[in-house]
Amino acid sequence: MSVRTAMPNLLARVPGVAIALIVLCTVFGLVSARFATPTNIANILVQSTILLLLALPMTLIIMTEGLDLSIGAVLTFASIILAVIVIATGSFALALSAALAAGLCFGLANGVLISVLGIPPFITTLGTLGIAQGLSLLVTDGQSVVGIPRSIESIYSGRLAGIPLPILIAALAYAVTHILLYHTRFGTYIFALGGNREALKIAGISVRGMLIGVYLFGGLMAGFAALLMTARLNSAHPTAGVGMEFDAIAAVAVGGTSFERGNGWLFGTLLGVLAVGVLRNGLNLLAVPSSAQVASIGALVIVALFIDGLRSEP
Amino acid sequence: MNAEGVRSPTLFELRGISKEFPGVKALDDVSFEIRAGEVHTLVGENGAGKSTLMKVLCGAYRADRGSFFHHGRQVAIADPVDARKFGIAVIFQEFTLVPYLDIAKNIFLGREIRGPLPGLVDQRRIHAEAKRVLDAIGFDINPYIQVHKLGVAQQQMVEIAKALSQDARILVMDEPTAALSDRETELLFTMIGRLKTNGVAIVYISHRLAEVFALADRITVLRDGRKVATVLPAETTPDQLVALMVGRSVDTTYARPPRPHAGKVVLEVKGLGAPSGIANINLTVRAGEIVGLSGLVGSGRTEVARAIFGADRISSGEIRLFGERITGSTQDSTSRGMALIPENRKTQGLALARSVGDNVILAGLRKLFPSGIFAPGKAIQAARAIIAKLRIATPSVHRAVGTLSGGNQQKVVIGKWLNARARFFIFDEPTRGIDVGAKAEIFRLLDRLVHDGAAVLMISSEQIEIVHVCDRAYVMRSGRIVGELARDELTEANIVGLAVHR
Repeated sequence: MSVRTAMPNLLARVPGVAIALIVLCTVFGLVSARFATPTNIANILVQSTILLLLALPMTLIIMTEGLDLSIGAVLTFASIILAVIVIATGSFALALSAALAAGLCFGLANGVLISVLGIPPFITTLGTLGIAQGLSLLVTDGQSVVGIPRSIESIYSGRLAGIPLPILIAALAYAVTHILLYHTRFGTYIFALGGNREALKIAGISVRGMLIGVYLFGGLMAGFAALLMTARLNSAHPTAGVGMEFDAIAAVAVGGTSFERGNGWLFGTLLGVLAVGVLRNGLNLLAVPSSAQVASIGALVIVALFIDGLRSEP
Repeated sequence: MNAEGVRSPTLFELRGISKEFPGVKALDDVSFEIRAGEVHTLVGENGAGKSTLMKVLCGAYRADRGSFFHHGRQVAIADPVDARKFGIAVIFQEFTLVPYLDIAKNIFLGREIRGPLPGLVDQRRIHAEAKRVLDAIGFDINPYIQVHKLGVAQQQMVEIAKALSQDARILVMDEPTAALSDRETELLFTMIGRLKTNGVAIVYISHRLAEVFALADRITVLRDGRKVATVLPAETTPDQLVALMVGRSVDTTYARPPRPHAGKVVLEVKGLGAPSGIANINLTVRAGEIVGLSGLVGSGRTEVARAIFGADRISSGEIRLFGERITGSTQDSTSRGMALIPENRKTQGLALARSVGDNVILAGLRKLFPSGIFAPGKAIQAARAIIAKLRIATPSVHRAVGTLSGGNQQKVVIGKWLNARARFFIFDEPTRGIDVGAKAEIFRLLDRLVHDGAAVLMISSEQIEIVHVCDRAYVMRSGRIVGELARDELTEANIVGLAVHR
């Protein structure tokens, strides 16, 4: 109560994730001379693109009171499919199509298991996580898939009109997701899936179809993220996407999307992804080991939600 | 209004509707007529078949037998789409609104106006159209506001707007005032009046007889799945109506048996204030008495109950239970024998998906199993004892509480605290959403509690209940107690006089 009234009006309306992002940038800017350079900032943006591609559909999935734990493992599997096929056939189009199809298959499996068979999302996607991870190890025998054409690498390192390609891809993905969520019937029904499923049924909308659609979108975006990941590593690793679902869920939570009642905010997810990206980058500059980085992301989630909690109704 | 003389033509008619569920005849040859510009109220005890009839009307259930006539022509209603075709819309008790969508998107959920590309929604037109619908019912609000920011009454207005935007000519309202304050209720009634003038037919389900008489053009009474009668309000009295509903002649009100003389002071509150908006509350409750806490909705009654129970922080004053000062935590107050039976039993008092048995023993687990080790046999035995004592109508201890009727759910909440050996009970609106027959039974239960030496503080919005059940009552206004009425001063007029007096 006292915190709320003491907080200036304007500041009180700034979401927790924005405050966290500003504080992080300020602190790293003060501590490390290399942080606030154009090169490093461009770095942060480019490095955040893969996470954004996963966090966007994750926002929609969480808004339906669902969860997709498999998204990192599906990314890995799609990346391996991409690498294996492009090496075998030399056809980029075929390889990308196969990677996207792999993502869509897992998305379809998640959606059908959750909506038709009624298995809880947490359990379903934990299962498909295991399957995708296992298939990745099986196909590669635990080894990296190397020897993909140079041209793929340029998708990650290339520029168009001076702007890095991954940023353009991520911006396009954000725009598409924004339109999908806020300007289409499908997006409207996503709010309803989490907010009041009964209302959808009464309106004569297929709840199952919509749910399957949401998870399909997750699979599709994991496929595109796999393209960026493969291009970035110039190879495919059977463990490349391990833990990415954690970062994606954290970014969504930091961004202020609630796990209940269809209360989601896409721009918040963008800020959340940046906050996670800044945090990882800053800690890298300070040579903090990656295990400690994971812990710090956990702390970030709690801090951002704590700031939001200060303002919400008691 | 349509009592004699000019009767508007029949808009829709259900004839000889029967519907059976395994083991239950939910509807048995029920006929029901809906006329344009008329409020037809549907009354009956819980389980009388009102909801089933409405679900048949809106296509959620398929009737086993019977026919439908729209403007005199026989039609079929097989699903909700059919019902909508004939202009039938239901304002559900549990709202069908999506909290984080705005008003306009809620109104047009599932019927979005298409934009320039497939899948796109024409935002501007949807909001303009919504504004038009809202204006038509006289609800002045920005259609861009998200629904979760609205109060219950405003959400109901949005529901009504949603129905009307679907060209509804028949609005079914199921207990629409259950969660409304008096002022909001008045607004709703004004709107119903406006809808009638526009030729909309309204089917109104309510437990509140005062409302029924205020609104109805005709009243149909259901009992045990059969239609008992259709009567005109001018030709009947509340007592007659209740007699029709329960099938026997009873007092509308509950006849209070003599009470033992009040004993020792159980609860003593002095100068209680809390950040939730109450100040300088002084009250006492003695063993063997039921004390009312009355006042308008929002006058601070629930806040007083929560502060006494330790659910909210207090800022001043003291609370003594059995002479000992309590510290203001729910653990402390429950361990000393206090129980709060909250207003909203579904979200605050019960684990709906769990069994009756699990629920009734929940609060008493510590006393039942002091060692901390659970013994299922003993638990079921204890649960059965409570179920028998309170005469909870359930097929078995294992039945999920959510499947019981409102009255029986309330008994489960009470049973829970009985098992915890509570000696002081606070009831917050114990009869909300409970039908007449079950009400009397809840009051008998309260009576039994005080006969056994317990003390009860009862909050109720229905003054008549306070008058008939309580030994004394306090009346609240704007967070303060503004008067205490002894047994012989306890009348509806006195309560209302104190509650609204400025």
